Amino acid sequence: MAARQPFTDTDTADEAVRATCDDATICKRFATSKGYWKDSCLQYFVRNVGERKAPEINRGYYARVKGVNLLLDAFLRKTECQCQVINLGAGLDTTFWRLKEQNLLPKKFFEVDFPTVVARKIHYIKTKPPLSKPIIDMHSADSLLLEPHVLDSDRYCIIGADLRDISNLDDKLKKFQLNTELPTLFLAECVLVYMNPSQSCNLVHWAAETFHTAMFINYEQVNMSDRFGQVMVENLQRRQCSLAGVEACQSLDSQKERFLAAGWEQANALDMMTVYSILPQDDVARIEQLEFLDERELLQQLLQHYCICWATKDKLNLGLSQLAF
Amino acid sequence: MAEVTNEAELLKEKANKFFKEKDYENAIKYYTEALELNPSNAIYYSNRSLAYLRTECYGYALADATKALEADKNYIKGYYRRATSNMALGKFKAALKDYETVVKVRPNDKDARMKWQECNKIVKQKAFERAIASDDKKKSVVDSLDIESMSTFSVLPFILNSTCADFAALQVNNKFVLNVIVVAAIEDDYVGPKLEDGKVTLQFMKDMMNWFKDQKKLHRKCAYQILVQVKDVLSKLPSLVEITIKETEKLTICGDTHGQYYDLLNIFELNGLPSETNPYLFNGDFVDRGSFSVEVILTLFGFKLLYPDHFHLLRGNHETDNMNQMYGFEGEVKAKYTAQMFQLFSEVFQWLPLAQCINSKVLVMHGGLFSEDGVTLEDLRKIDRNRQPPDSGPMCDLLWSDPQPRNGRSISKRGVSCQFGPDVTQRFLEQNKLDYIVRSHEVKSEGYEVTHSEKVITVFSAPNYCDQMGNKGAYIHLRGSDLKPEFHQFTAVPHPNVKPMAYANTLMQLGMM
Repeated sequence: MAARQPFTDTDTADEAVRATCDDATICKRFATSKGYWKDSCLQYFVRNVGERKAPEINRGYYARVKGVNLLLDAFLRKTECQCQVINLGAGLDTTFWRLKEQNLLPKKFFEVDFPTVVARKIHYIKTKPPLSKPIIDMHSADSLLLEPHVLDSDRYCIIGADLRDISNLDDKLKKFQLNTELPTLFLAECVLVYMNPSQSCNLVHWAAETFHTAMFINYEQVNMSDRFGQVMVENLQRRQCSLAGVEACQSLDSQKERFLAAGWEQANALDMMTVYSILPQDDVARIEQLEFLDERELLQQLLQHYCICWATKDKLNLGLSQLAF
Repeated sequence: MAEVTNEAELLKEKANKFFKEKDYENAIKYYTEALELNPSNAIYYSNRSLAYLRTECYGYALADATKALEADKNYIKGYYRRATSNMALGKFKAALKDYETVVKVRPNDKDARMKWQECNKIVKQKAFERAIASDDKKKSVVDSLDIESMSTFSVLPFILNSTCADFAALQVNNKFVLNVIVVAAIEDDYVGPKLEDGKVTLQFMKDMMNWFKDQKKLHRKCAYQILVQVKDVLSKLPSLVEITIKETEKLTICGDTHGQYYDLLNIFELNGLPSETNPYLFNGDFVDRGSFSVEVILTLFGFKLLYPDHFHLLRGNHETDNMNQMYGFEGEVKAKYTAQMFQLFSEVFQWLPLAQCINSKVLVMHGGLFSEDGVTLEDLRKIDRNRQPPDSGPMCDLLWSDPQPRNGRSISKRGVSCQFGPDVTQRFLEQNKLDYIVRSHEVKSEGYEVTHSEKVITVFSAPNYCDQMGNKGAYIHLRGSDLKPEFHQFTAVPHPNVKPMAYANTLMQLGMM
């Protein structure tokens, strides 16, 4: 039996980061139960709708989900699905099933997260036919590869790995038929902020180096140098969760800069208040009717401190830099 | 006979398989065949009912659920199916009865209880909508409630050990008495604060505040005693309370506190505990958003009972059912006590006065001024306030409106009531011979703001609002000698890390977004 490793500060921090996947899933579960958007798979990851969330949180997740999906779908359409998607820190994300249902699947959809998170996700998939059936449908052989920390099939691959260990990540992805010639989309939602600047820089740089035609969508905090940012950092520290990468979250410019400096050709960034105002407004009007918001200050402050940043490089000249809201 | 049963069972198995694969048409087909062979099988009806629900044939689903129960009135799933069908058909009261049945039979079933609670919420919401839709102002939410649906269901039936004075209060609260309040002795293992001879004392208040500070719970009996007594006290007040501060006296006015109990304790640290010589006025929004709303409100109600003429409370827009349902107070009361206690809080909130006039010169209300000119203090006195606020009119405006910099009025950014300009303020003050108004309702980074040429003062007493905003809190000293407001600011103090639950609507967890 191996000697027990001491439980380090990093372990605690990692554990706290892993727990955020539950926060996100639970909040999405509640929001979808209220009708903010449709996601029939969440119920298989979180059975109960759970306790009420504040309307600001529901609207915030709505903006995030709609915003990211808008860009993601635009990329898929532009490349006519002749592409790959790699969702970094995917948690219990349900995008694969949405794309399958909408006939928008890329050639292969990859997800990476901590091994323990991936193990949980694989367990849910194994035990819930509505989750496994669509994967099996898209698989040519009789059975999928199902290991404790890996699921591999023709169109969907989930890998347990530490995003701070780039060479290991690279090995694993290539082992499961990652094609560096295909246009590839990277997704990271509240992921980079939990790594220190050099770790996230390595990751972003590796992505730019490995693919000649690609896009990276990053959703996370922004405008963090004000009082709100300070308060959030303190709050999270009390939960043993440190925002190691908050430096890049100072402003929209700093978010863009981290991509440009790492080898991406073009970068754009918008805060979520702006995104919220340019999402299709008839649907926004619909969701605003779902729950009455008694005051707007909290929501505005919240949305102004999150952003979507998207960076592109386009050797194949597909016109990726024109993809926008 | 056995063969027929077997064959029917096989058909049912076949149907179940189709059901699992979401092929509801076929599932229904085979349940029907099974029923042809065995027409009094509750399970077949119940399963077919569910298949009909999935295909949105709610009428058929209801019929099948009813048949299932006719075949076997003890088949619990049958009640569930019927309740679900009724919910889908919008027949919430009928659904509630069935959920009540399930909970009675299965008192430990959390899922059943949750469904009952959710359904009950909807029933209340519908009642509220009916109440405000009608012109009859006398109708209150409680009148519209189906008392029967509440009377036999009680999570924790209990008894109030009351004195004669309390009994008088109990009898005045007709509705409340009907809601199964049976007196119970306090359990022997409760070592927390208790009222002395049924009365709030200063010692009790100090003990209770410390008890709360340590995150302990006040015994429900004490909570009920406080609520019943404070309801009686508040109900005797006019909708517009008029007080005089003498030359040598001062009054402290606080704004929104929103369940931020530790910040409330800090106010008492900085400014002294309430007393006859240290009077306070709390200007609404005591609950919701913060995680310690129960502690805040019981403390404020306790002081109201201790110093009824020197401790004043006005109603805010968050002392209403709709807000409490969405922003955490209802969830918190249900988690710490019961749904029934929340119902009583709701009734007490309805008796909170709407405005206060000080020395006939300064008017205080939570929201602001009115959507129309010509409102007088006499009009405010006459408001029949024992209700949920209507969606327009002076009672609504008092709780919801906001000042704006430009003249005139605009549609409110909140979607309720209006925004009013300096000219509106000027006209109102002149007509009513007042000097200025004090209101709350809006978070301000400095804790207060002076606008409309010093005629509108906003004071907000929840610092670092929702653990997010980073704002200061403030309170006002008003001396009888000159009635000039003196501002005192303060910052947030730490509070215990409450597990992110529904009622902990602090947006702390947003870091994870």
